[in-house]
Amino acid sequence: MERDGFLELRGIASRYGSNEVLSDIDLSIAKGEFVALLGSSGCGKTTLLRLLAGFISPSAGQVKVRHRDVTHLPPDKRGMALVFQSYALWPHMTVAQNIGYGLKLKGVSRAGIASRVAAMQSLLGLEGLELRKPAALSGGQRQRVALGRALAIDPEILLLDEPLSNLDARIRLTVRHELRALQKRLGITAIHVTHDREEAMVMADRIVILNGGKIAQAGTPEEVYNRPASAFVAAFMGAENVLSLNGAPEGGEFAIEAGPASAAGSVPLAGRPLTAGPVEARFRPEAARLFAESEVAVIGPGITFKGEVAAVSYPGGHWRHVVRLGQAEVMADAGHAFEPGTRVAVHVPAESLFLFNSPSAAPASTVSRAPTGRVYA
Amino acid sequence: MPQRLLGLPLVLPALAVIAFLFILPLILSAVGAFQVEGAFGWGNFTKAFDLYSKDIVFTVVIITLSTVLIGIASIAIGGYLTLGEHPVAVAILRWLYRWPMFIPFIVVGQILRTFLAKNGMMNNAFINLGLLTPIDAQSFLDWRGIVIAFVWKQTPFVALLVAGAMASVNRDTIEAARNLGASRLRVLIEILVPQVAMTLTVGLILSFVTMMSVLSVPLMINAQTPTMITADIAFRVNSYGDYGVANALGIISLVLASSVAWIYLRASLKERA
Repeated sequence: MERDGFLELRGIASRYGSNEVLSDIDLSIAKGEFVALLGSSGCGKTTLLRLLAGFISPSAGQVKVRHRDVTHLPPDKRGMALVFQSYALWPHMTVAQNIGYGLKLKGVSRAGIASRVAAMQSLLGLEGLELRKPAALSGGQRQRVALGRALAIDPEILLLDEPLSNLDARIRLTVRHELRALQKRLGITAIHVTHDREEAMVMADRIVILNGGKIAQAGTPEEVYNRPASAFVAAFMGAENVLSLNGAPEGGEFAIEAGPASAAGSVPLAGRPLTAGPVEARFRPEAARLFAESEVAVIGPGITFKGEVAAVSYPGGHWRHVVRLGQAEVMADAGHAFEPGTRVAVHVPAESLFLFNSPSAAPASTVSRAPTGRVYA
Repeated sequence: MPQRLLGLPLVLPALAVIAFLFILPLILSAVGAFQVEGAFGWGNFTKAFDLYSKDIVFTVVIITLSTVLIGIASIAIGGYLTLGEHPVAVAILRWLYRWPMFIPFIVVGQILRTFLAKNGMMNNAFINLGLLTPIDAQSFLDWRGIVIAFVWKQTPFVALLVAGAMASVNRDTIEAARNLGASRLRVLIEILVPQVAMTLTVGLILSFVTMMSVLSVPLMINAQTPTMITADIAFRVNSYGDYGVANALGIISLVLASSVAWIYLRASLKERA
């Protein structure tokens, strides 16, 4: 994706000893964009963020801000401020001292620091807490102080290292929106590292999914959710149901052969580079539609599997069924419960069925392999 | 016998050791300090102050100066071990700095005696290097020798504590400061040292009390007046059999040591509040 290249990464690689943590990272980020780096533990996302911040040097490649090479500049000369996962507040300083420290380092006058700290406090709802020490603050307040400390120096780029992962679940939901609104209001460029798919979807303009130190896909939340570029991305974005099918492209369609548990069907290729042979099919439980075997009707393009309900549970909002399709098991949601043992048909609409040419006959592992050794994530 | 009383005979041996070997002698010397020819009075103390007030001041100044220097040196060592970016230099320092800890005070005194004397190793080295003429060579075997011996011997101990505390400080707090543009010296002074202040204080107080009780170093290095209280105590006992004044000097050292401990206790109470 070509952007105006406010922040650019070109061919970034990083190794730790003989272990390659990152390789071939090319990314261009526009001014004011909110980018989420998403991936499981050990995928290299925190390494990438620390590399951007200047705490580690890449073994290859360049980092550029406004076409200026900052690859080997010290952390404070890059116009970036980092919010740490642990917040990293200084326990011996008060809230005001924590927020104002960056300004003190820049030689701002005492009055200048005081007014900027007060502005940050009102921006973040920390009024009246200036004399407290971090130990006397709640988790949410600490998080806001950490944010205030980073924003006080007026950085061009805000780096966020899982800043919400230490908050409890309910506060996290509101902070997501607050943080996003604040970023929009300040027009600041933000790079947010997270392993939480929903958090990335809700907050980011663009999601960069990392797998094994490489970019697996970069795109808008809608793109990566509805048009995953690989089986890994599909699995990571929640399409955990996986089945092995056989098929071949026919004109603008991909014709799927009938299998032991499925009828033949076809889906539009829609530009996908699929070739004839075994394919890995993935879909989300909520995308599947469940019918009693007797009442199945033709509902449109897609594929229909036949199987038997093995278990049913209620996670809220809908019933989740484990359906046995021959050897395989899939999850499928329905508005009402089917008793275990019921024969059912599972229909997956064409637009929700993700097909990938299998590298081998067996479906690929759904989880990325964490490289061994020390990685930040 | 009720069961809870059963514990008592179990702790009795330990209690007896403390009572008879520590508490009783302490009380006896405290009482002895106030006994002048069978009667109670301040005689020993007036005599101690008349004869040795210079030595008391000397002791306090020497040990305070040593404590300050030990503090600075151990912050520098701990800081370099934590923030140093040259892995080989850090490894060498980590291996080297602890050695003086394993050398007894008397050996330290002996080493420094041959090293710091007027015709000792240090001056000889300087003269051979052409940095010093033999006329200008001077002996360091006075108060400076004592300070050098104390700092050399005690720094590793405090540095060990301080470096350990610094290593357990959340690295992110250091990186957050670096991210905002703090130099390594500022990180050390403004971020690291405040977070290990309590450990540093404890180390320095333990060091202070240890130095208060060292006899061998002043005897080996500084065999002149003024000297340290410990040397005076030894002198009163060995030369005059004067336990009264010796006990009074002991009480004075105890008061000096416990006043430092009191500062520590007050600081730790404040921190907890």
